[in-house]
Amino acid sequence: MKNENGLKYFSLSVIWIWLIIFALLPFLLVSIVSFLSHDENHLIRLPFTLAHYIDLNNAIYLKIFEKSFYLAGLCTIICLILGYPFAYAIARMENHFKSLFILLIIIPFWTSSLIRTYSMITILKPKGIINSVLLWLGIIDKPLALLYSDIAVVIGLIYNLLPFMVLPLLTNIERLDNRLLDAARDLGANRFTTFRKITLPLTMPGIISGSILVFLPAMTIFYIPDLLGGSKSILLGNLIQNQFLVTQNWPLGSAISIVFTLLLGFLLFIYWRTMRGKEHGNLI
Amino acid sequence: MKTVLALLLSVFATPILAANENVVNVYSWSGVIPDAVIQQFEKESGVKVNFSTFDSNEVMYAKLKASKNPGYDIIEPSSYYIDRMRRQGMLEKLDKTKLSHFNNLNPDFLNAPYDPHNNFSVPFIWGVTGIFVNQDYFPAESLARWSDLWEKRFTDKLMMLDDTREVFSMALRVLGYSVNDSNPEHIKQAYLKLKELLPNIKIFSSAVLSILIDEDAHVGMAWNGDVYKAYKENPQLRFIFPKDGFVIWVDNFAIPKDAPHRTNAYKFLNFMLRADIARTVALDNHFPTPNLAGQKLLPPEIRNNPIVYPSHDILRRGEFQTDVGDEALSLYEKYWERLKMGG
Amino acid sequence: MKSKIMQYLPASLYLTLIYLFFYIPIIILIIYSFNKAQYSLLWHGFSLRWYEELFADTDLWIAVWHSLVLGFFAATAAMCIGSLAAVSLYRYAFKGRQLLYGMVFILILTPDIVMGISLLILFSFVKISLGFWSLLLAHITFCIPFVVVTVYSRMASFDEYIFEAAKDLGANDVLIFRRIIIPLLWPAMLAGWLLSFTLSVDDVIISYFVTGPGFEILPLKIYSMVRLGVKPEINALCSVTFVLTLLLVIISQVALRKKP
Repeated sequence: MKNENGLKYFSLSVIWIWLIIFALLPFLLVSIVSFLSHDENHLIRLPFTLAHYIDLNNAIYLKIFEKSFYLAGLCTIICLILGYPFAYAIARMENHFKSLFILLIIIPFWTSSLIRTYSMITILKPKGIINSVLLWLGIIDKPLALLYSDIAVVIGLIYNLLPFMVLPLLTNIERLDNRLLDAARDLGANRFTTFRKITLPLTMPGIISGSILVFLPAMTIFYIPDLLGGSKSILLGNLIQNQFLVTQNWPLGSAISIVFTLLLGFLLFIYWRTMRGKEHGNLI
Repeated sequence: MKTVLALLLSVFATPILAANENVVNVYSWSGVIPDAVIQQFEKESGVKVNFSTFDSNEVMYAKLKASKNPGYDIIEPSSYYIDRMRRQGMLEKLDKTKLSHFNNLNPDFLNAPYDPHNNFSVPFIWGVTGIFVNQDYFPAESLARWSDLWEKRFTDKLMMLDDTREVFSMALRVLGYSVNDSNPEHIKQAYLKLKELLPNIKIFSSAVLSILIDEDAHVGMAWNGDVYKAYKENPQLRFIFPKDGFVIWVDNFAIPKDAPHRTNAYKFLNFMLRADIARTVALDNHFPTPNLAGQKLLPPEIRNNPIVYPSHDILRRGEFQTDVGDEALSLYEKYWERLKMGG
Repeated sequence: MKSKIMQYLPASLYLTLIYLFFYIPIIILIIYSFNKAQYSLLWHGFSLRWYEELFADTDLWIAVWHSLVLGFFAATAAMCIGSLAAVSLYRYAFKGRQLLYGMVFILILTPDIVMGISLLILFSFVKISLGFWSLLLAHITFCIPFVVVTVYSRMASFDEYIFEAAKDLGANDVLIFRRIIIPLLWPAMLAGWLLSFTLSVDDVIISYFVTGPGFEILPLKIYSMVRLGVKPEINALCSVTFVLTLLLVIISQVALRKKP
């Protein structure tokens, strides 16, 4: 009996201690900082104030948030459209091939993502590979402005984040019960109906977790817009970074990230509540 | 099992042992101190150099501020951060008796407003922020001052440095104000001026060299040292010292408060001040050196190059950057955010 | 047979396109590591200069070694803690389960830069010196949720009755853990380890803040270069590491195929 509880208490205490120290405590620190005043010499000081949250009610922040949301959303949707059939095709493979193909997705990630993004500059440049090829083929007579545009940013984001969409989808599609699909077909459903009525709802958790894993970093990664977008617009990641580093206004930076975190938490909560009715609330 | 244990021990032991060795922890701008110089210092002094790099003053400052110096002995802030950190008591007052080569420095770069008696900083490299132009696209003679960049012919052609202070300095000079202006009214005027420039701006970037050489942008803002480097791979490039004034930036070595290896830090500083070392550094990173003795050792085509070492008359138009204070800085930043979001 | 090919053709074409998208930048990277130019990103001629410089640059190799060591330990620790967390979250009812969930989510939701800075504040608060240990703790922390997610979703696919049955047959918790959970979960744990290792060796933003003097890691070295222009030496390094990992994967695949 002692043994029985031993493992439970051991594992629970390890996790609790770890998460309290390294997740909850830093989060609380950030929350507290967001209510403190800004000070030139000591970064933060008393008294407590709501000023930074009031500051957030500013057209420019709304604009930045909108733009980040738009780019991240676009990237997420394209990743989903590209990633779903991709994941489906791999999930339906023979086991041996499957592990090889999954490995092939991960291998590029062992090369620094910064360097891979940097090499996209070579491809997209005004005198870069794509433009040279198109010019040589005579398809265009003037280089396309691919680099330093939102298009380049979205391509860069997709390039870096697509695997985060594919991997959760893969595990989810793998678990799909083939008997259900066969049954649907036997009952006369065509491919489209089967997909819409059975495959899609059953792979919804994978779609959601994939979208979260793509959307979140897409909102806040700052080096991709800097490198590929010619840093012509400020996205949420740049905004938070600038508050912490450039103006050293830590309270404002903290307030922005708290609001952002709460907003996303709220979205997840809504999703969770709606899912709970259907399945047992399996968020992850 | 034993081998695994041994591996574990050896791996964990390295960082711990490293803390007690005869070392100096240097934290500098990326790409300005050549490896060969570090190796030479290690060989001659027997002191091991732990070398880490940053890409912006802000990151360096944030780290030292947030954790009360995590163990760095030498840092390399730009002039306005020297000013800021010195006033906030973050820098060690230098004992110049330990720096026997201090006299090698060019007096033009000593006792500048950001550190009036050089009690806290030793200049290491400097540069001028001016205008670059690619002769294939626009004749260099057609440009003389910053205000020319506002012309219609440069629509979607310009590259600006991705740096709030540098870009605002340009607008402030065009309006006839100091690059260190902290008057909110003047900053606002500068912002409005920059808003007019927006349609001309194609890129904000810090990775200047490839943009210049590969002709991603044809005109814009760059440092003289970078243009000189780029010129060697693309001879169509020209550099212009704007008639309406410009920024002279200086990156300096300093010893932060609570530096754990002070003696070695002085050894390192004095080594970097040597004329032959200044020469090696200048030949590697191609930025102008404030080390006069070192400058004299350079080959004549560099020493006398008007881009790298402009005359006194030209330099008189320049201004050193000082700290503008937090309030002005957040104002700059607010307008910067607005600018980047399209005004 | 012909119809089978026709059936698989669109799928394999699609797969090829996506894999090309993944690999073309790397191929370009490898080609351009032989580029003669120092600063230009256009082709200026063939040269082995960057490889010569790469093999002379010991500092760079030390940074590579540090990254690998850090990634190995961070991934291993994150795998252990994350798997325990996933198993407990799935199997046990306890007070504060929701809170535990919540904290895992806070970890996922926090932007990297905020996590980096808040951990920096924490470390300076409790006086952990910045360097290997602070990096390790930070990396374990941001890897944990990914292990939890991977392992948990694997557990969710188990038949719940398997645990009941084992219990009825007299197995205690430890035995269930050793004989049932571990064997069933190890593919997911391995996947979690791989994911953690991958994230750890590639992380820039969090490491930026929690690193200290004396333990330079590769991504940071690269990051500080990228904004001011990357040395082609780094391209050479990435090409070498890419080819090495590819070889490793091929060897392991061949070895696996030999003994099924």
